[in-house]
Amino acid sequence: MNTKYVIAAVVIIVLIASAAFVYVYYQGQTSDSGLAALQNLVDDHGYKTSLTAYPEKIVSVAPSATEILYAIGAGDKVVAVTAYDNYPYDFAAWIAAGNMTSVGDFTAPNLEVITALEPDLILASGGVQAESVDTLRNLGYKVLVLDPTSVGGILNNIELVGNATGNSAEATALVNEINSRITTVENTVANAAKPKVYYEVYYESTSSWTIGAKAWQSELIEIAGGTNIFGDQQIDYYQYQVEALIDRNPDVIVLPGEGMGTGTASTFDAVKARPGWDTTNAVQNNRLYQINSDIIERAGPRIADAIEQLAAFFHPELF
Amino acid sequence: MSKDEVESTFFRRTSRWKLIVVLLVLALFVTVIVSLNVGYAQIPFPDILGILGKQIPVLNGFIDSSLISPQNAAIILQIRLPRILAGVLVGAALAAAGVLYQGVFKNPMADSYVLGVSAGAAVGASLSILSGVGFVFLGLRLVQVAAFVGAVSAMFIVYNISRVGSRVPVATLLLCGIAVNFFLFAVVGLLEVVAGDELHSIVFWLVGGFSNVLWRDIWAILPFILIGIVASYFYARDLNLLAMGEETAHHLGVNVEKSKQILLVLASLTTAAAVSICGLVGFVGLMIPHLTRLIIGPDHRILLPTSTIIGAIFLVICDDLARVVATPFASTLELPVGIITMLFGAPFFIVLFKRKKQSCAS
Repeated sequence: MNTKYVIAAVVIIVLIASAAFVYVYYQGQTSDSGLAALQNLVDDHGYKTSLTAYPEKIVSVAPSATEILYAIGAGDKVVAVTAYDNYPYDFAAWIAAGNMTSVGDFTAPNLEVITALEPDLILASGGVQAESVDTLRNLGYKVLVLDPTSVGGILNNIELVGNATGNSAEATALVNEINSRITTVENTVANAAKPKVYYEVYYESTSSWTIGAKAWQSELIEIAGGTNIFGDQQIDYYQYQVEALIDRNPDVIVLPGEGMGTGTASTFDAVKARPGWDTTNAVQNNRLYQINSDIIERAGPRIADAIEQLAAFFHPELF
Repeated sequence: MSKDEVESTFFRRTSRWKLIVVLLVLALFVTVIVSLNVGYAQIPFPDILGILGKQIPVLNGFIDSSLISPQNAAIILQIRLPRILAGVLVGAALAAAGVLYQGVFKNPMADSYVLGVSAGAAVGASLSILSGVGFVFLGLRLVQVAAFVGAVSAMFIVYNISRVGSRVPVATLLLCGIAVNFFLFAVVGLLEVVAGDELHSIVFWLVGGFSNVLWRDIWAILPFILIGIVASYFYARDLNLLAMGEETAHHLGVNVEKSKQILLVLASLTTAAAVSICGLVGFVGLMIPHLTRLIIGPDHRILLPTSTIIGAIFLVICDDLARVVATPFASTLELPVGIITMLFGAPFFIVLFKRKKQSCAS
């Protein structure tokens, strides 16, 4: 055997081993240092962002991101939000009073407004914002995309935003609080019979939309002690066949909307009057509920509220 | 050719036509019955017959409905049957209107988009969606009334812009129609931009579908479509003569302007009624008349009724596919029927067209 190759191989192995050792050692040394975490922020789309310092000016182009920022005590760094932001403060009033900047529409945030603010960090969501995110990154801005597909993903995002803003202790505390509220609900409903739940996304004159297993709202329903009647569908939002709904016969109908809890009688009457829906258990037993769409459609800290609310709908005798 | 020979050819032809129409009506009937079996829910055929029989006054005493679940009865009577009948009506209306548009314009690309009818319906529907009023008018959804009003107004606007004195030249009508069509779709685009949360409603309406058709929708559009199709049949001869040119038709005794006017109003009313309940369903109005012409020939007296029935059969089958395409994958997914009509209709048409061209060439 050629000794030159043996030596070369040994040298390479030693180099790799020492590099690995140094890497592991370095990671171990700095894992509890917040600033090191800034070097390696990986968002929901797998995009790596590194910051050199905690951001002083944050633009949030997603109401869910705004809710996370305020919940972990980073609200004072927020310089702009969308026209849809309404929690935890009345941002529309702030914007009108000149105390907050609006980036406009959620689907197409105003890039000129954003660049004029020179933010250190931008928090965005997925889907319709993908194009804006690409543009902002090309302009050199640091963007984190929060696009979770599960409750775990939402909690990870709270930690991620905590790491990015230097509020990781508050983020961890918030995650623990949400987890304990989830556990409480899970324990309460553990032995109760699971009602079959239909969750409405849209009901239009020409099509009907609901959620499948891949929408995180489906997970909220399961945690709250219900079964999504379309939970066997490996998809997030989709157009379903109405006869499948009648056939699967939901016990409970959940309608996201403006209201909270009871909803308006006219909304429920309209649902009851839909063709064939009167044969479902939900309509016959009058188990239609409305939930505030903001708490159940935003991947933020209020998912705990949504879970508790749903559990009360599904198991009124336990709450 | 002697007089007897001419007469016998004529009778042979009309009896052949009668046979074709009877066969097509039978085919439509079979399609409807088969379609009642199509969908996510597996309902045995005897149960379907039982559910239907229960609705017939004399028969219902003989049927034991205790074994039929109320869910299955609701699926058949309140979901499948209305949407199948809506498919029949809308398919018939769009195909018949397509024949009229193509005949009047003597243009193979003419359809309900040309006179701005579809665009007008889209503007009406979008505006009503944005208004946020779920208001119902005589039991109809506002979006349907608004779509109908939009379609009819668009047609009147185009017609009046194009009028030169008492005449409406076809070329002017076409150009004005296309201009108004672009303008109205620009308005729809504008409404989409400012729609915010309501954007999805507009987009879904534009794709079209029968998902949530109600019985009262069918009763509402039935008179328009029935009158439109039946009345236009009396102008089949005029359409044949118009095909030879307006000048020739005029000399052969056709009141060209009046016929054109009546035909366009009939076509637009039936189209407006159809799109008002299901949104914009493409392809049927444009392609079914061509497809029928390839099989049956260009004589409007037979082209009009056959196109109407083939349009009905085609749309019902497309809606069946929309419901079952995903079922083999254990999916409850439904596709918008407007996508199916184009996805399956276009390749089918191309194959047929190629074959016809080849058989003509050889």
